[in-house]
Amino acid sequence: MHPRLILGIAMLLAACEAPPPATPDAPLSERLGATDTAGYARAVAPRRFAFPADHGPHPAYRNEWWYFTGNLATADGRRFGYQVTLFRIALRPQPPDRASAWGMRDLWMGHVALSDARAARHLAAERFARAAAGLAGSQTDPLRIWLEDWQIEHSAAGWRLDVDAGTFALKLDLRPQRPPVLQGEAGLSRKSAAPGNASYYYSVPRLATRGQLRLDGVEFALDGLSWLDREWSTSALAANQAGWDWFALQFADGRDLMYYRLRRTDGSTDPLSAGSLTWPDGHSEPLHARRLQLTPARWWQADDGTRYPVAWDLTLDGSERWHVSAVFDDQRMDVSVRYWEGMVTVEDASSGRELGRGYLELAGY
Amino acid sequence: MVTPALRVASRRDRRRHLGQTLLSLLGIALGVAVLVAVDLANESARRAFDLSLTTLTGKATHRLSAGTHGLPEGLYTTLRVRDRLRPSTPVIEGLATYRGEPFRLLGIDPLSDGDFRPASARLPEGDLRALLTQPATVLMSARDLDRLGLQPGADIAVDIAGRTRTVRLVGRLQGDNPAALEGLMVADIATAQELLQRVGYLDRIDLILTPAQAAALPSRLPAGVQLAPVRADSSTQQRMTAAFQTNLTAMGLLALLVGALLVYNTMTFSVLRRRRLLGLLRVLGATRGDLFRLVLRESLLLGVVGSLLGVLLGMAIGQGLVKLVTRTINDLYFVLTVSSLLVSPGVLVKGFAVGLAATLGAALGPAWDAARTSPQDATRRSSVERRVHRAAPWLTLAGVLVAGSGLISLPFQGNGLTTAFVALFMVIIGFALTVPWMLLALTRLAQPLVGRVFGNAGRLAARNVAAGLSRSGVAVAALTVAVAATVGVGTMVESFRATVALWLEQTLASDIYISLPGSAAERRRNSLPPELLAALRELPGVASVSEGRPGEVDAQFGPLPMLALNDAPQVRRGFRFLATVDTDPWPALRRGAAVFVSEALAYRHDLRPGDTLTLTTPQGPRPFTVGGVFSDYSTDRGLVLLDRASYARLWHDPGVSSSGLVLTAGADPARVLAAVRRLVAASGLAVQVRPTAEIRAESLAVFDRTFAITGVLRLLAVGVAFIGVLSALLALQLDRAREHATLRALGLTPRQLGGLVSLECGLMGLAAGLLALPLGWLMAQLLIQVINRRSFGWTMQSLLPPGVLGEAVLLAVAAALLAGLYPAWRLARIAPAMALREE
Repeated sequence: MHPRLILGIAMLLAACEAPPPATPDAPLSERLGATDTAGYARAVAPRRFAFPADHGPHPAYRNEWWYFTGNLATADGRRFGYQVTLFRIALRPQPPDRASAWGMRDLWMGHVALSDARAARHLAAERFARAAAGLAGSQTDPLRIWLEDWQIEHSAAGWRLDVDAGTFALKLDLRPQRPPVLQGEAGLSRKSAAPGNASYYYSVPRLATRGQLRLDGVEFALDGLSWLDREWSTSALAANQAGWDWFALQFADGRDLMYYRLRRTDGSTDPLSAGSLTWPDGHSEPLHARRLQLTPARWWQADDGTRYPVAWDLTLDGSERWHVSAVFDDQRMDVSVRYWEGMVTVEDASSGRELGRGYLELAGY
Repeated sequence: MVTPALRVASRRDRRRHLGQTLLSLLGIALGVAVLVAVDLANESARRAFDLSLTTLTGKATHRLSAGTHGLPEGLYTTLRVRDRLRPSTPVIEGLATYRGEPFRLLGIDPLSDGDFRPASARLPEGDLRALLTQPATVLMSARDLDRLGLQPGADIAVDIAGRTRTVRLVGRLQGDNPAALEGLMVADIATAQELLQRVGYLDRIDLILTPAQAAALPSRLPAGVQLAPVRADSSTQQRMTAAFQTNLTAMGLLALLVGALLVYNTMTFSVLRRRRLLGLLRVLGATRGDLFRLVLRESLLLGVVGSLLGVLLGMAIGQGLVKLVTRTINDLYFVLTVSSLLVSPGVLVKGFAVGLAATLGAALGPAWDAARTSPQDATRRSSVERRVHRAAPWLTLAGVLVAGSGLISLPFQGNGLTTAFVALFMVIIGFALTVPWMLLALTRLAQPLVGRVFGNAGRLAARNVAAGLSRSGVAVAALTVAVAATVGVGTMVESFRATVALWLEQTLASDIYISLPGSAAERRRNSLPPELLAALRELPGVASVSEGRPGEVDAQFGPLPMLALNDAPQVRRGFRFLATVDTDPWPALRRGAAVFVSEALAYRHDLRPGDTLTLTTPQGPRPFTVGGVFSDYSTDRGLVLLDRASYARLWHDPGVSSSGLVLTAGADPARVLAAVRRLVAASGLAVQVRPTAEIRAESLAVFDRTFAITGVLRLLAVGVAFIGVLSALLALQLDRAREHATLRALGLTPRQLGGLVSLECGLMGLAAGLLALPLGWLMAQLLIQVINRRSFGWTMQSLLPPGVLGEAVLLAVAAALLAGLYPAWRLARIAPAMALREE
C-alpha cells in the first residue's frame, strides 16, 4: 500500500492537519509545502476499476504511485531484493498555464533500491523531475511512465522496468500471475476517520519476474517474484497517525498477504489497519486487526539512533504463526524521506522452515 | 650584545623625542595601511569574484553553451533522458534591476540543481511550491531582503529585458556563505525563460563530468554546441582584472616607498642627533656591533608597532576602498555580486612583513652610520655634513645609474607588467638618490634670488637648507617622490581622459542613439524590431540610420567581443585607424573579406594589418584579413569589427541591438528626439533612446568613477609625504635649537626667527615641488607609454596639464610650510637661555 507516501509525501509535503517541520535542512520534498486539497478529487466512495486503464495515471488526485518490490535470485541462489517506485505529486490542481514549456503541475519523485543479501549491502537512489519539457510524465497506449531515464512500461504481457541508479541498473520483465486485488472496500482504502481521507488502492500481488541486474560492472540474470502496489489519493492520514508497518508476503503455497498496521502517535494500533489474503485461485479475503496479530520480535538501531522493528511475529486467526525477519538489517532508505524498506523471509514460527518471502516497510520511526 | 646601559639610553632618547617617534610610527603605519588596504580590496574583489562564480556555476566542471542564441531547451532533455548525462542542470541568466540596483537573475531547475549549488538544495523559509508553479516568483538573499527592507510575499517592480515586471518574492535564499548570495535573484527555469524572454532556450547546461565523459561528449553534441571546462572561463575573466589590480598594488607600494624614506629619515636623524651620546658610549666601551644593533633594535620596535598600526588602519581604509574597486570592476568588466571586505590573514601578514622589512631596510644605513661613529668626531656635527656633501655627487651618480638602467631595460622586457613596475620604481629610487645633490645645486642657484627678495634672512635660510643637507636632503626627497607621484598619476589620468573624450567625440558620430537594455548577453540575443528600424528611417529629419550588433565570436585564441556595423556614413566617420592595409580599408570589410581589430586586440595578439584572423562561423572556421587597426577604449579585451551584412549572412544573426541616427542639416534635434521616443513608446519596448551628449557624459562619468580610486591613493601618498616632511622639519628645527638660540641671543626677534624657519621650509617645499616636476613627468610617460599599454593595450596622447603641475608645486610648498608651522611656533617661544643651557 504505502501509506508512507501519504505520510511521507502528502503529509510532509503538506497534510492539512500538521504543518511540515520547516527546518533549514529539511529536504526538498518536505518543502514543497502543498497544504491545499482544494481543487483535487477525493476518494470518498468505491469506484469501478477498469484495467488496463487504471494502471495509468489519475491526475485528478493529488498523489499517486507505482510501487514495485520483489525478491529475486540468480540461478545459483544468490538473493537480491529490489524496489522501483515512481511517485506523482501534483503541486497545483490546474494544468500549467505558462509560455515556458518548463511550467509544471506534477512533480515526479523516484526511489529505487537494491538489497544484496550476500554482501548485506543496500543501495538506494532518489530522483526528482518535473512533468514538463519531456523530463518526466506518463503516456498511454501503451502505458509508459518515466522519470528521465527511469521508466515503467505496461503492455498486454505485463510490466517492464528499466532503471539505472548509477551504482546498479535493473531491466526486468514482470508477468502477472493473478488479476489485480482491490484492497479495502472494493478498492477504497480508508486511512482515517475523516471522509475523503482515503485512497484508491489495488495490488498485483504476484508477478513472475525475470531480468538483468548490473552491479559493480557485473551482469546478473535474475528471476523471482515481484509485488505491485498502486494507489492514488488526495489526503489520507490524520494528525494522530504516526506511521505504519506494511507487509507484502508471498507464500510458497501460493497465498499472498498484504497488511498495514497504522500506528497512532500514542503507540496504539489504529482500528483502520487492514489488509488482504489472496488465494492461488485469485479470490481474496479482507484482513483486520482481529484476524492478524503483529508483535515486533527484534529491533535494529540505525546510525542516527532511530530504531526499527526488523523482525516480527505474526499470528493469523490464532492458528498460523509466522516469523518474518529482514534478510539483513540495514535496508533503510536514506533519501529525502527516511524509511526502512527491505526484503524479508517468512518462516514457520515453530519449525523455522522457510514459508515464503516478501517486503516489509517501516515508516514514521 | 646590547648592554642594559645602551637600552636605557635608547629608551630615554625615545621618550625625550616622543613627537618624533610618533611621527615616524605614523609614517610607517600610513605606508603599510595603504598597501594593506589596496591588497585587501584586491583580494576581496578576487574572492568576491570567486564567490560569485561559485554561486553561479556551483560545482560544475563543464558547461555547454551555443553562441548568441543559446541552447535549444530540448537538448537538456535529450542529454538527461537519452544519454543519462548527470549531474547536469539547465541555467538561464540575465539582469534584473530593482530601484536602480542590478541583480543577477539566475534561472535554475531546483529539482536537478542540488548537485551544483548547495544553496538551492536548501531553500529555507521559501515556498518552493510557489517558486515552481507560479509565474514571476523569485527568491532573494536574506541579506538583500533585510537591506532593502523587503519581506517574502512582497511584490516588487523590477526592470527585466527592457520591461518593467512585477515579481513576487516567495522566500529567502540562505546558504553557508550568505555573502555569496548577495545580488542574486533566483527563479525557476520556467519563470526565468518567461521574464527574460528566452522561452525555448537555455543559456547553458552545467555539468559535472569525469575526464572520460568530457572527452566523449563533444561527438554526441549537435553542431554549434560547445563544451567548455568551467575553470578556463573564470581564468579569462580573472586575467581581465589582473592588470587593473597590479596597477593598484603598485600605487600601494609607492605609498610604502614614501613611508620607508620617512623611516630612513627618522632613523638617520636619531643617529645624527645622538652622535655625542654614541661617541660617549664608544668611549665607555660599547663596540661598533653594539651600536649597530642598538639602532636596528630601535627601528625594529618602530617597525613592529608602526606595521601593526598600519595593518589595523589598512583594514579600516580597505572598507572604503573595496567599494571603489568593486565599482570599477563592475563598470569595466562584469557585475560582481559581492562587495563586502574579506579580511584575509595572508594579506595582513604580508603587509606587516613588508612594513617591517622596509623599516629595517631603511634603518640599515643609519645603523651602519652609528657603528662608524668614532669617539673623536662624534661631537662635531660639521663632520657629518661634510661627509654628506662629499657623498652627494656619488649618490647622484648612483641614482643616475639606477634610474638609467631601469629605463634602458624597458625595451628588452617584452610585455610583462611586473618588470615595468620594477623599472618605474628604479627610476623613482634613482631620482630620489639625486635629490640631495640637486637640492644643493638649487639652493646655491636660489641664494642670490631669495637674498634679493628676503634680504639676509633669505640668504641665511638658503644656506641653512644646504648646510643641513643630511636632514633636509631626505625630507625633500620624500616630498619629491610623493608629489611626483601625484604629478605622474595626475598627468596620466588627465591624458587618458582627454584621449577618451576625443575618441568618444569621434566614435559617437550619430546624434541620437537607440539601444536595447539589459546585460551584454541579453543585448546580443534580443533585437530591435525591424518595423521600428524601418519607421526610424522614414522619420522626417533623419538622414541616416546605423545598425549595430554586438556579440562574441570565437577566434583562434578564444572568444572575442565583436561588433557588426552596417554601411552608414556615420560608421565610417566613427573610426580612426592607426594602421590599415589599403588606403581605404572599408571596401574589403564590406565584401566580407576583412575585419578590423581594435588596438588592444592587435597589441594583445600581435595582429598587424594584412594578418589573418580565423573566426569560427556556424559553418566552421573562416579566415579574415585584418584590414585595419582602430582606436578603441571601450574594452581592454579588444574588439573585432565586422560588416553587418556579412555577419548576418555568415552567423545567421540578422538582429540589431543598437542604432544611431544622424539628423539632416537644419533638423530640430529636440523635435526629432521626441518623435523617436514616441515611435519607441508605441513599439512597447523599454528601449533606451539617448542623445549623444548624454552618452558621452555618462561614459566620462564611468571613466571618472574608474579613476576615483587612483585619486584616493594619490591623496594617501601625499598624506604620508606630509607626515614625512613634518617629521623631518620638526627634527631639523629642534636639532638646531642651540643654533637658533644663538641667533636669538644675537638679536633676532622671535618673529624673525619664526620667519626664518618658515622660509627654510618654504624653500625646501619649493625645491621638492620643482624636482617633482621632471620626476612626475617621467613617471607619467612610463605609466602612459609602458604600463598602460602593457595593461590594456591602449595608446594615448600625452598631455602636460598645467593644472596638475601648478598644483604639485603648490602642494609641496604648502605641505612644507604647514609642516614648518609648529617648529617655527615652538622656536619663537623658547627662551634663548633655556635653549643654550639645554645642551
